[in-house]
Amino acid sequence: MLRFDRRLLQNFDWVMVAAVLLVGLLGLLNLYSASSLDRELGSAVFVKQLSYFLLGFMVILVITLVDYKVLIKWNYPIYGLALFLLLAVLLVGGEVAGTQRWLNFVFFRLQPSEPAKLALVITLASYYYRKDTGKGFTIKELLLPIALAAVPFGLIIMQPDLGTGMMLGFIFLSMTLFVKLKWSAILSMAGAAAAVIPLGWKFYLKPYQQERILTFLSPDSNPLGSGYHITQSKIAVGSGTTFGKGYMEGTQAHLDFLPERHTDFAFSVWAEEWGFIGSLFFLACYFFIILWGMNIALTARDKFGVLLAFGVVSLIFWQATINLGMVLGLLPVVGMPLPLFSYGGSSLLTTMAGIGILINIRMRRFMTP
Amino acid sequence: MLRHLGNITKMDPVELKMLKRRTDIATLVVLAVVALLVVRLWQLQIQHGAEYLKRSENNRIRVQQLAAPRGNLLDRHGELMVTNRPRFNVVWIREDAPHPDEVIKRLSRLLELEITELLDRIRAGAQQPHFIPTRLKEDIDWSTLVRIENNSYNLPGVRIEVQPTRDYLYGNMASHLVGYLGEINRPELSELRRQGYRPGDMIGKMGLEKLYEPYLRGEKGRSYVEVDVRGFAQKQLQVEEPLPGNDLQLTLDLELQRLAEEALTDRAGAVVVMEVDSGRLLAMASAPPLPLESFTGGISSRIWRGLLEDRRAPLLNKPIQGQYPPGSVYKIVSALAALEEGVITPETTHFCGGSIVYRGRRYHCWQRRGHGQVDLEKALAESCDVFFYQVGKELGVDTLAHYARLLGLGQPTGVKLEHEKGGLVPTAEWKRQKHGEPWQLGETLSTVIGQGFNLATPLQIARLTAAVANGGRLYRPQLVSAIYDPEGQLLEKFESELTQHITAIRNSSWETLRRGLEEVVAGERGTGRAARVEDLRVAGKTGTSQVVRLSLLEEFATDEDIPYRYRNHAWFTAFAPVDDPRIAVTVLVEHGGGGGSTAAPVAGTIFEAYSRRLPASTATQATETSPATNDASPPPEPAEDGGP
Repeated sequence: MLRFDRRLLQNFDWVMVAAVLLVGLLGLLNLYSASSLDRELGSAVFVKQLSYFLLGFMVILVITLVDYKVLIKWNYPIYGLALFLLLAVLLVGGEVAGTQRWLNFVFFRLQPSEPAKLALVITLASYYYRKDTGKGFTIKELLLPIALAAVPFGLIIMQPDLGTGMMLGFIFLSMTLFVKLKWSAILSMAGAAAAVIPLGWKFYLKPYQQERILTFLSPDSNPLGSGYHITQSKIAVGSGTTFGKGYMEGTQAHLDFLPERHTDFAFSVWAEEWGFIGSLFFLACYFFIILWGMNIALTARDKFGVLLAFGVVSLIFWQATINLGMVLGLLPVVGMPLPLFSYGGSSLLTTMAGIGILINIRMRRFMTP
Repeated sequence: MLRHLGNITKMDPVELKMLKRRTDIATLVVLAVVALLVVRLWQLQIQHGAEYLKRSENNRIRVQQLAAPRGNLLDRHGELMVTNRPRFNVVWIREDAPHPDEVIKRLSRLLELEITELLDRIRAGAQQPHFIPTRLKEDIDWSTLVRIENNSYNLPGVRIEVQPTRDYLYGNMASHLVGYLGEINRPELSELRRQGYRPGDMIGKMGLEKLYEPYLRGEKGRSYVEVDVRGFAQKQLQVEEPLPGNDLQLTLDLELQRLAEEALTDRAGAVVVMEVDSGRLLAMASAPPLPLESFTGGISSRIWRGLLEDRRAPLLNKPIQGQYPPGSVYKIVSALAALEEGVITPETTHFCGGSIVYRGRRYHCWQRRGHGQVDLEKALAESCDVFFYQVGKELGVDTLAHYARLLGLGQPTGVKLEHEKGGLVPTAEWKRQKHGEPWQLGETLSTVIGQGFNLATPLQIARLTAAVANGGRLYRPQLVSAIYDPEGQLLEKFESELTQHITAIRNSSWETLRRGLEEVVAGERGTGRAARVEDLRVAGKTGTSQVVRLSLLEEFATDEDIPYRYRNHAWFTAFAPVDDPRIAVTVLVEHGGGGGSTAAPVAGTIFEAYSRRLPASTATQATETSPATNDASPPPEPAEDGGP
């Protein structure tokens, strides 16, 4: 089964590995500063993230050993496992601040909504690959993928975790719009969305979530309530000016004004301490990974590879966009980590697994199927 | 398996072109987002950078955590037992007063504290980030508070923190159950940080305060205060009020608990009052109580050492942690075993001449003159040891142990409290393992009257008594009946929990046993006569368990001469009303002397208080006309009961 070809090693995607390593190291550097306020917690968090990072490279190695096309067949088992974990977290999950997002294993606290995103990418890529006739999908053919996305979406919304739930929606939309659709399918989906969104606002969103969105629309109306996070994050980023305040010198972060500074708001610590120049450098490194991933999609040897790579890239892209948009005060506050950069084992390992899939597709681009 | 998937297709040029177009569009979207982010960064950091930098320097909004009032503890009727009162602490925020010498001098005068003590506090807080308040003095009185507020204009950085603290409305009532709070320590903090605990927070350290911490703690609030450069509060920006914790409704009955504790004043011991048909605890007292007030704000080492060294062991929660030889109370088990095993019938009699000789050793009855011809009813009523020696010889230790376990001895009752002890039910096998010696047949004679190796907790005995009353149902003793949210909405209700229903024992055996136990209280020479209550039929059993060998006690002329630690433990356990059992009461007085004289009156007081609440129909006339089984006995003696 493991036909290992010399060409695989020659074609191994060292560029991607280097880019991921660079962004990961920037993340660790930043984490060290962001968590230094609390010495005891800080060092524990740093060591944990470092070990997840190393573990992530092993995940990449393992994933690249097996041809990615096995995923065509394994999509439903993987999807089923992800659903099982999501169900388990609702039934026996640990509660943090009123939401059930964690499964406690002996040495690891898994947040099953993270791997669920990747499982959705794999299963959608597999479905679209197998069912594509070239004539464009009708709405009837889209019912199954809609259901495939809706079930984990529902389970995650029940935790409740609106941000991650929305993420599944973005992945579904990106991948579905990427394949060829019939116009009738596009129109009926748009119609359904127009009907569902107001209902969701009214019946699903909790008052505090509605408030967050309203606050976002006019943040200065409530600078201490739900606008507090946005305002403080903007002050942090803005006060970095051109060259930043210097590493470990960020006053916003270190004076505890910034909430969640080592997870969701990690980038505002970076922007405060490294300024505009440092932020540009970071964005360049980060979006290089995304554009490189897009290139992997374009050069894949078969259509499954294209769909899969595109899905993984959209997964990383949307999370990064939502996170950065939130940190810079362009989007409302939702809990969403910056992949590879924020603290959090489940998110990091899931992203690394996605990167492993990209490298896998890249290194097999010249292989005859 | 891979071959099966070999149909994966290379793309045809048309499709490739389409996919390329789509990827290009996606790339454009990505680049647009990057451009947007860069523009936004430029806007924030370059265009408005100077502005934000200034705002970050003046960002002097102090976020102060507001501790939540803990949930209240209520008794079964909803009466408040433990609530909160505000406590005023003086805190100092380092960042707001960079040159504190003057401030500290003034504070030392106002607070009447040595400067060195203040400096110690400040040094202890020095590891914290400099915007976190350091507590300088806790729980200041009203006049100090006024003085500080009046001087606030020259006390920059000094603030008053209002912290809810526990208010024990009935002093140390149920102190071992309520438990106490303490400042969170490092191990607890590293474990619980995720749940929002911070240094300086109070957390339940013992008892219900600890076990129900997640329910009681509530949610902290926040107060946002804007301060100026010199550290003076400028204006209150916003307050997120803390959310009080949930209230616990206990199964305890304030009045019975108070009576039980009063009865134990200046003594060491335990009283358990249990509802017979549910296992709910109406009272559970342990004496001496814990001085709850001295635990708030950290107990002094002097008081702590005093508690540790007190021979009455106030730190021990005696109903569940005190393990005592059950003494003659154990005859309940022996009687039941004998009836069930067919060793005796209600009519069987043995002659008690004051002692018997078994295997070359003489075993005495507590009544040295003997009880004459004794049947089971009389043996229970007058606690005849010889009768039970005869029974024990035939039963053997392992059969006795079987029944003891059946009735819940030798294992924890499962009450939701910490560190419950299980007592001990000896068997031949146990002795071989523990002491490496075979069981001596004579030891069975000690066991059958509850001496020897047997150990039981008062709660176990109370549960056993309830099982006798209700025909063999063992409930898990229950202390918390419901949890209410701060608005008074029911959050959780705890139903009674039947752990075991002993069906192996015949109804007639329970009946016979209950008749004998009623004689203990109602009989003319019953050892438990001191527990008699007008208009209430009480059935019970006394016990006087020896702590040292009898011969040691014989050196002393009167009871008062016996040193405290040599004196017998006094037991009494009972239930009432006999015809419709409602409650079981178990009393243990450590080194209290005779069970009939010391423990039974305590139970009597509780039954009396309880009977006043019963509807008239259930409190039937106590039967004074007892069956004439004790005609042949010698004239009445002062009720005395005891082991060999």
